[in-house]
Amino acid sequence: MIPELGSFALILALCFALIQGTIRSELTVNAVFGQFTFLSFAMLCLIISFINNDMSVIYVREHSHHLLPFIYRVGAAWGGHEGSLLLWCLVLSAWTFAFIIFSDKKLSKTTFSTILMILGWMSAGFILFLLSTSNPFQRDFPLSPIIGNDLTPVLQDPGLIFHPPMLYSGYVGFAIAFAFAIAALLEGKFNKEWARALRPWIILPWSFLSFGIVLGSWWAYRELGWGGWWFWDPVENASLLPWLAATALLHSLIVSEKRSAFKGWTLLLAIITYALSLLGTFLVRSGVLVSVHAFANDPRRGLFLLGYIALIIGGALALYSIRIKKFFKPSQFQLFSRETFLLINSVILLTAVATITLGTLYPIVLEALNLEKISIGEPYFNTVFVPIMLPALLLMGLAPHVHWEKQSFLALWKKMGLALLLSLLLAFLLPWSLGYPFGFLTWMGISLGLWILLSTLQSLLKQKTGLNHWAMIVAHMGIAILVIGVSVNKSYSEERQVKMQPGESIMLAGYQFTFDSLDKTKGPNFESIKANFTVGNEPISAEQRIYPHDQTLGKTGIIFNGWRDLYLALGNSLPDGNWSIRIYYKPCVRWIWFGGFMLLIGGMISLLNHYQKRRGAL
Amino acid sequence: MKKYLPLGLFLLIVILLWRGLGLHPNLIPSPLINKPVPTSRSVFLGQVTLLNVFASWCEACAEEQGFLNQLAKNNKVRIIGFNYKDTPLKAKAWLKQYGNPYQNIMVDSKGETAIDWGIYGTPETFVIDKKGIIRYKVLGAISPDLWEETLGPLILKLESETL
Amino acid sequence: MIFLILLPLITYAAEDSYQFQTKEDQARFSALTGELRCLVCQNETLAASNAVLASDLRGQIYQKMIQGKTDKEIVDYLVERYGNFILYRPPLHLTTVGLWFGPFLLLILSIGYLLYYVRKNQREKR
Repeated sequence: MIPELGSFALILALCFALIQGTIRSELTVNAVFGQFTFLSFAMLCLIISFINNDMSVIYVREHSHHLLPFIYRVGAAWGGHEGSLLLWCLVLSAWTFAFIIFSDKKLSKTTFSTILMILGWMSAGFILFLLSTSNPFQRDFPLSPIIGNDLTPVLQDPGLIFHPPMLYSGYVGFAIAFAFAIAALLEGKFNKEWARALRPWIILPWSFLSFGIVLGSWWAYRELGWGGWWFWDPVENASLLPWLAATALLHSLIVSEKRSAFKGWTLLLAIITYALSLLGTFLVRSGVLVSVHAFANDPRRGLFLLGYIALIIGGALALYSIRIKKFFKPSQFQLFSRETFLLINSVILLTAVATITLGTLYPIVLEALNLEKISIGEPYFNTVFVPIMLPALLLMGLAPHVHWEKQSFLALWKKMGLALLLSLLLAFLLPWSLGYPFGFLTWMGISLGLWILLSTLQSLLKQKTGLNHWAMIVAHMGIAILVIGVSVNKSYSEERQVKMQPGESIMLAGYQFTFDSLDKTKGPNFESIKANFTVGNEPISAEQRIYPHDQTLGKTGIIFNGWRDLYLALGNSLPDGNWSIRIYYKPCVRWIWFGGFMLLIGGMISLLNHYQKRRGAL
Repeated sequence: MKKYLPLGLFLLIVILLWRGLGLHPNLIPSPLINKPVPTSRSVFLGQVTLLNVFASWCEACAEEQGFLNQLAKNNKVRIIGFNYKDTPLKAKAWLKQYGNPYQNIMVDSKGETAIDWGIYGTPETFVIDKKGIIRYKVLGAISPDLWEETLGPLILKLESETL
Repeated sequence: MIFLILLPLITYAAEDSYQFQTKEDQARFSALTGELRCLVCQNETLAASNAVLASDLRGQIYQKMIQGKTDKEIVDYLVERYGNFILYRPPLHLTTVGLWFGPFLLLILSIGYLLYYVRKNQREKR
């Protein structure tokens, strides 16, 4: 009964979405509310089906097991294609709902209702996709008692509860900015008020996406068992692409708001950002690429999604081509000015987007042309993406100190030269004084991180600091910390893969890992072999778990402080009585995630500022 | 003109992705095609052969075996087995259970020869001509459809080639 | 003296799964296996994968390194058998020129165009 209610709720939600998309009236607000209610209800039905172990529901059967712990049964609701698509629809309607409640009241009524209509069509398309190709409530009733396929062990982790909702809140949220852009193109109107009204709808999803990506990286680090935190897998690229575009959008919008420039560019970036969100969804769900996280695929789904994307984004870009002339305005700034710097930054970020897209899609190009089958992975992206991003980091420290319209080079050098030289010097001295070897890329990375840090701090000295300025400071410092973390981690990590048995010790990076004992333990739905180690006085243990259906999963052991992680992974038992063990020393790895967390904080501060101002204005 | 650039680029990507939907990213073509067999050359000379990689732990192999048995019974083609990362005892029991279509079996318990053949999964099947040249490789199980459409005609053609 | 040399061996009986004479070779091994793709996995390097084939290939690479083979010889050996698909760093061929140089070309062209555009605009205003 409950799954049928869920299906029914989806159909009602679709009706509401269609109403929202077609009728321009005050009443559409109710349609949004109805849609949100029924989608929430459908999600609830799905979760209840999981909690009740209703194995007649195909989706539940394929992603659960009667032994699966309660909390993962809840999370399993979005652990597969169908359920995560329902989450996507739910998040979109939640954003629309939030837009109605919190949107700027200065936005004209027509713009407001146009935005709602566009969002309505977007939602209708996705719910239709869900109902026609991926209904999570589909049931059948086999005669024999059914045992669930179980949730993939990798997903049985607290990360499952937080990461997907956070990530989806990020990239689905860009739908609002997209709708804003379409409304602006349709109405030919893009003023300061409009830019201000749009701002929180970019900052908020951008913050969520930043943090969602960080959560994903942290999860992969703990789960995959080889100490890596980013692999340039298509699924990771799918989330990084909209992030890069949104970062460019964020900065371009600031110029549009403050200087009334770059309007066409801002509109284009808003479309591109959402297009990349949709592209990511397509890549992960259509099976065109081999990824660590490909959902089970069915060509019909890929075709539907591609058609939908072609329609929505193709339509938007066509509209852009026709209407963009209206937004053109001769620029007021000189070559050496903050505007130019921000434009160059946008261009670099978009080149980075193009690079990742190229690296992700190139294998398909070659295969489609019947030329060759190749893989493109980490070594490619590190070689190409990193040098392209370096100048952006240099500009990042500089731009906040450059005047709008025009700036003399000499004055800038006088102001910032010291910080630049200091960061170059410190980046050389710091590793040297700690006894680490010199490496050119390491030096560049740490220099740029320090440079952003110092120049950002320097901007604190003179300027009046409002909340908005603080938001920038926190976010930029977050990037600085992330960059330093990445540089140090990439350069000075150490690892050993060893054979050992209880009683033996091994040294890594000055730490002595002692293998104390081997335990057999039992969890709620797994049996496990646990290797207990000590490092100094601290215990650390890693496991090999066996889940139902003989699925195995290694569980890593990690002890950390602010400076470094010590990481332990248990491999197979060897015929000679030894165990294969991998140990890693990972310096500054937490800095990467902390930097990402600071982006979220920065975003929140900016939002606070926005609402404070709005309240002041009322 | 410039303003149509984003639209043009986007349409190009859509067309590419649409083509991509029809491809199989999981299947890796073998670079050994049209090259002589890497090991045991003499075994393959003079007769068209299917070299079928199997193992007792391989579930898809069991599904394929019925069809291979039929081929062997009807004398369609000579089939040689390649027992991959298995123990003789288990392999024998498995052949007893699912049938033995093989005229001869190469045994590679350690998986070292397999690397020379570029084998990366089970089942895989190589089609080898009379000169001992690899002409085709099937990834995954052989289905009756695949035989009707591709393998059967190919083998007829190879049979008609002179040494 | 002999005692001193033996001492570490007694304390740390555990040993590396792949033993090399020098630290450089150890690093070479990590780097090499970190750039090769595990063919049976969804998307993992040979270094990271637990798959049986990955472990076999790691063993082969180790053997070849011990025999004194260079990185290039080892990579060629694998590409001969599994194709370029095994390389996460695609080689520079006619077909991959766009992949390797496209991004840099794009960056230079677009920044060049941007600067030209800003200047032109300014001149027109004057």
